Amino acid sequence: MFRILKKSLKTGVVTGRHPAAAPTVEAPTSEAQDKAKPFRSSLAFRAVDTGSCNACEMEMNALANPVYDIERFGIHIAASPRHADALVVTGPVTVNMERALKDVYKQTPDPKIVIALGDCAINCGMFKGSYAVTGPVDRHVPVDVRIPGCPPRPAEILKALSELRERKP
Amino acid sequence: MADAQTAMIQLKEAYGASIAEMTPINGTPRLRVKKDDVPQVAHFLHTHPSLRGALSLLWAVDHRPRESRYELCYLFTLAERKDWLLLCTDQPTDDRLFPSITPHIHAAKWYEREIRDMFGLIPKGHPDLRRLVRHEHWPKGTHPLKKDFPWNRVMGRQQGEHHFRQIEGEGVFEVPVGPIHAGIIEPGHFRFSVAGEPIMQLELHHFWTHRGVEKLFEQQELTAAVPLAERVSGDTTVGHGLAYCQAVESLLHLQVPRRGRYLRSLFLELERLHNHLGDVGAICNDTAYALPHAHCGRMKEQLMQLNDRLSGSRFLRGVNRVGGVAVDLTAVQLAEIVAELDRIEKDFSELESIIASNASLTDRLETTGILTERTAWDHAVVGVVGRASGLDQDLRRDRPFAAYDELQVKVVTYRYGDVRARMRVRMDEIHESMRLVREVRAKIPQGPVAVEPSSRPQAGEWALSAVEGWRGEILYLVMAGENGNIHRCKVRDPSFVNWPAIQWAVLGNIIPDFPLINKSFNLSYAGNDL
Ligand code: SF4
Repeated sequence: MFRILKKSLKTGVVTGRHPAAAPTVEAPTSEAQDKAKPFRSSLAFRAVDTGSCNACEMEMNALANPVYDIERFGIHIAASPRHADALVVTGPVTVNMERALKDVYKQTPDPKIVIALGDCAINCGMFKGSYAVTGPVDRHVPVDVRIPGCPPRPAEILKALSELRERKP
Repeated sequence: MADAQTAMIQLKEAYGASIAEMTPINGTPRLRVKKDDVPQVAHFLHTHPSLRGALSLLWAVDHRPRESRYELCYLFTLAERKDWLLLCTDQPTDDRLFPSITPHIHAAKWYEREIRDMFGLIPKGHPDLRRLVRHEHWPKGTHPLKKDFPWNRVMGRQQGEHHFRQIEGEGVFEVPVGPIHAGIIEPGHFRFSVAGEPIMQLELHHFWTHRGVEKLFEQQELTAAVPLAERVSGDTTVGHGLAYCQAVESLLHLQVPRRGRYLRSLFLELERLHNHLGDVGAICNDTAYALPHAHCGRMKEQLMQLNDRLSGSRFLRGVNRVGGVAVDLTAVQLAEIVAELDRIEKDFSELESIIASNASLTDRLETTGILTERTAWDHAVVGVVGRASGLDQDLRRDRPFAAYDELQVKVVTYRYGDVRARMRVRMDEIHESMRLVREVRAKIPQGPVAVEPSSRPQAGEWALSAVEGWRGEILYLVMAGENGNIHRCKVRDPSFVNWPAIQWAVLGNIIPDFPLINKSFNLSYAGNDL
């Protein structure tokens, strides 16, 4: 018990101790910002992997660690698409995952936003053209926000998400 | 005990008429076996008490257009000295049947189903001929690795449904899970049959993330495909990149400079560290013990930021290149790494004693998800999972690559094969990796870090390479094609052999323990599905 307390006190607060994000390549469109409006202070997202190499997943998981602590911005990870406001899709959409992606999209209640995370989701990346890939994501479901990178750094994901929720001037 | 040479002599004594010696492939003895005798020869190699060969890799090659034949190759690792022995057999293009070795050797089960899907060759006598990689909606006759299948073909769709093995009886329920899971993980489907709480059967239905990686390799040049190898399984960027580079280097007869080899070992250990740290935290988190998860997440993040500072990539992407490494480190950077690791080691040791003194955690981890040594051996399980079940194997010691011939690797094994053993292996390996990094810093020589490739291999030459990634053995087979292109690249992530074993580890456990068991294996879906 005391050991745990001591450890926590010694560690202190680490949140925010990360390098600043590079400037966002693609600023969110005003339509996307409008769509994100209803979720301003609370956004629940569901991650859907449609064939990623799992580095994008790891960076998303990193968002939940104490350094990035995405929950402090009111962003949670939902366990089911039915509880989600946004879908974060990674990967180039494989032949085998195409149906599942469409199903998930249907199951997510309106209004919803779709975020394509990583180069694969945006343009199939290195897997473009393969017999087993039918993407990119926007061929199958409408995409509102694109976060490029292979994989994008957590700070960049965080920045893109917060820009999405910024009030328009 | 038996090395590969005595094994060959024994095999020739027993099956002289059906085998012939061939030229070795990078030092690995190779035997040509008559097609119909493969099962007996393989069985002998697998079960003979002085050989006990474990099937490490089984692959097929379509030699067209140069030669009109297929070839099947079986790579065995002999028990004691971990020598390799290769059996190869020809398969005419007009014959679709080949004899299955699965009835004798359990570990061949998925390989043979994979060959059936990818090449359209049918393993005769295989107990389970359902599709594996190609889900049932793929049209008939689509076998992507055949040379007459275009790499960018647009796939149609047919009706079809996957049939799971069913257990019937009063009170038996099936629980489907996936492909999309509750956490942020990759897609895969698990089908449980339960009676009350305990799991009676688990069946995996994977390959959702199949992206056609092996076919994509065939569209690339030998020296240009490292980025693709790094994206086979993102969390094993260095492991896969290195394994690929090594295979190409032995094809091109390149000698990587010593400093380059030391840096490769260093990067590989850094990758092992951040993944093991993440896993220890995640295992605790799956028992709802969030404190270690937070601390491990923080330490893992420190390491990833360190990676970013060293190489410009949090996953160390682009550090390996054919001929050496692309990133050289200064003495200051090496000192920074060691200082950072010293801090983290102290930090982690404190956390370890907190974890170890938590009785309810220990209670949850002990005897959960036991994979016995026998089952592990039958499935030729590799890496962390194998070492937790008592299999004393580690390529860093057994087949040294990079700079491991000059570094002393202590192999960690535990006997119990439960979740706790798998966590303990990781914890001990964290300390061992940190020690290795320090050893690298102390021993690293000056000099160049890479050499330029100059020659080109002849079409049809091939090489094998093996790397002990953080998850386990990564194997690559690379065969050169015309004009410096790749003719065939077989990738084997450790996940491919460890996934089937999980079906045995969960038996008798309850479903709520499955996420915990799964986490303690922590296998890659992307690396498995390719
Ligand atoms: S974008 Fe890059 S990191 Fe993300 S899934 Fe694709 S290959 Fe992996």
